[in-house]
Amino acid sequence: MKTRLSGRFAVVAVLASIFAGSASAQPTDAEVTAMIKVIDDRQENSGDYRSIAYLEQKEKGKADVAFEVEFFRRDADDKLMILFTKPKNEAGKGYLRLDKNLFLYDPTVGKWERRTERERIGGTSSNRQDFDESRLSEEYAAKFVAMEKLGKFAVTHLTLSAKPDVDVAFPTVELYVGPDGNVLKREDKALSGKLQRTTYYPKWNKVYSESKKGDVYVPAEIRIFDEVLKGNSTVMIIKTTDLRPLDANLFTKAWLESKSR
Amino acid sequence: MIILDIARNNLLASRRRTLFLGSALFLVTLFFTVLLALTAGITDSLVRAATSVSSGHVNIGGFYKSAPADSQNLVQNVAQLKKEAREVLPDVVNIVDRLRGWGTIVSDFGSIKNGINGIDYDEEKELFSVLQLAKASEYQEAPADPNLVKGNFADLKNPGAIILFAAQAKKLKVDVGDTLTVRSTTVTGQVNTADVNVVAVARDLGLLSGFALFVPKQTMIELYRLKPDVSGVIQIYLKDMGRSVEAMNDLRAHFAKQGYAQFEHDSKPFFIKLLQTVPGEDWTGAKLDVTTWEDESSFLTQIITGLRAVTFALVMLLAIVIVIGISNTMTIAVRERTKEIGTLRAIGMRRSSVLALFMLEAVILGIVATGLGGLVGAGLSLAVDAAHIHVDVEAMRVVLLSDTLHLVPRFGDVVAAVLSLTFVCGAAAFFPSLRAARIAPVTAMQSAE
Repeated sequence: MKTRLSGRFAVVAVLASIFAGSASAQPTDAEVTAMIKVIDDRQENSGDYRSIAYLEQKEKGKADVAFEVEFFRRDADDKLMILFTKPKNEAGKGYLRLDKNLFLYDPTVGKWERRTERERIGGTSSNRQDFDESRLSEEYAAKFVAMEKLGKFAVTHLTLSAKPDVDVAFPTVELYVGPDGNVLKREDKALSGKLQRTTYYPKWNKVYSESKKGDVYVPAEIRIFDEVLKGNSTVMIIKTTDLRPLDANLFTKAWLESKSR
Repeated sequence: MIILDIARNNLLASRRRTLFLGSALFLVTLFFTVLLALTAGITDSLVRAATSVSSGHVNIGGFYKSAPADSQNLVQNVAQLKKEAREVLPDVVNIVDRLRGWGTIVSDFGSIKNGINGIDYDEEKELFSVLQLAKASEYQEAPADPNLVKGNFADLKNPGAIILFAAQAKKLKVDVGDTLTVRSTTVTGQVNTADVNVVAVARDLGLLSGFALFVPKQTMIELYRLKPDVSGVIQIYLKDMGRSVEAMNDLRAHFAKQGYAQFEHDSKPFFIKLLQTVPGEDWTGAKLDVTTWEDESSFLTQIITGLRAVTFALVMLLAIVIVIGISNTMTIAVRERTKEIGTLRAIGMRRSSVLALFMLEAVILGIVATGLGGLVGAGLSLAVDAAHIHVDVEAMRVVLLSDTLHLVPRFGDVVAAVLSLTFVCGAAAFFPSLRAARIAPVTAMQSAE
């Protein structure tokens, strides 16, 4: 299980020391590690999670594709479900993550297929991690790079390197964290060091969680740009977020199958 | 002998009828021969491409699953497996190993998703005896010199090189010397890329070449972060490829004896197993999968089966037309020649000889017309094949498994076409001949009066 900072005071203290720090006061490794824990903690909801999102995929030389998806999480058990609701020909299709296995259900053939954790969701540039809870501190070791400017925002630039034996698609991530502790930009790099995709998080929403007894930060919009296949991009807009408890039997194959009947 | 003379004279006497029926038989045989040559050409292209581009005569492939959801096309202990294959199969001509992968190939103008083969140029005699450099006109929109041939296959020895097929180069809008990016995921699932330089563009070899491109082994090892002594497939070439099934069974029996975990034999190509069968199975670890070239190209044999069915249906249709035509014409001829039959019967010709006479006429006509049709058909097929006529329509190239019209007229096929259509001709003449034989001499004489 992931370690959590004890209490909100610790979060505020780390943010204050790092984000308000000057360029000369370079944070220590421990502070940087604490910082990505803060990023995870701000997005973590100890209970259940339900959102409706729109996905729009632009691919060079192809017609734009748009989907509406509903996704559900139970972070305590690492469970995730993504249900396609629109367009009609995609409705009922879904992904279910159970015990670190990702399954895809295709209602047209009525079959489940095991997929990798790096699966491109619905063929878009998004993957499981874009829908899942933030696990940066579990998956990566962080290093401070510099305090930089991203547009009008002063941001902290961190380089994250994947920890050994962790199942992530991108071994190196450049992270640009805003003054409020939310990620504003993320660059994913291949093993070769080549930039693969850039993700922007222009807006974050704050939702109060009864189970956490605190606020949970949810990106309102995610813009993913493929840096190798230039011209390919995905926009994900998260319309509603509900943190109330979900049905106990929701994260089952039977539940997802019932949605396409 | 007399019957033969009479039959020949009758055919010559009824020139118009003989010419009409003979032409029909000639054309049908020609058509049949060309279709058989086309089917043989496609089979030849399939065997040529399958046993060079995508498979050996026998293959030791394998699957590796680090987790139930992660399936890789990997074979471990390659050196040991090669050594054992040489011991088990004494008629081995060559053994090569190839690293196999799947990735996105990106140029400044486009991208394709494609199979990637990591090969050693010096090992791959079979492949490079089949590959030919493409002309600029085969992959460029409006080249300054359409016949210009650039690049060199031997440059694949250089690190970071890539050989594409013409259709791939056309889609990516690249030429020899251009740089591409290959993007794929490593065995551990991490994204990796490699920049590669186009050293040669090969002529297309039909559908199979669409799935393959070639890079040096080292590029694949770096792209997929593979350990030494690991590969994608061991391809074995035998003196006699007809022995491939036997050789596969020998290897399977040997590996079972040695305690290697093996995949049950399944006549499907490796990529279908990798995408459909293996991911659904719960085991982890490594399993060997020994297959033949026919297994690896089984999805293409459907094209040949389909073409054979179409050829058969068309020839059957034409044969029915011939049967009706010959039967009608012979019936009319029997009626017209009643007097002649009566005379022959009156001077002592037996019924069986009359039957033989009419049958012989049809068979002589058949053998001459179909023989000529077969010869001209074979000659035409050879001429078309020698002309290397380029096929521009991609769907046609997929069916033909070649970028040019490739026709192989086989002696056995020509003989079969000639004999079968001559038999049809003889069979069509049987009932009218029987009717002629049954005419009583008195009736024949009366009808003449």
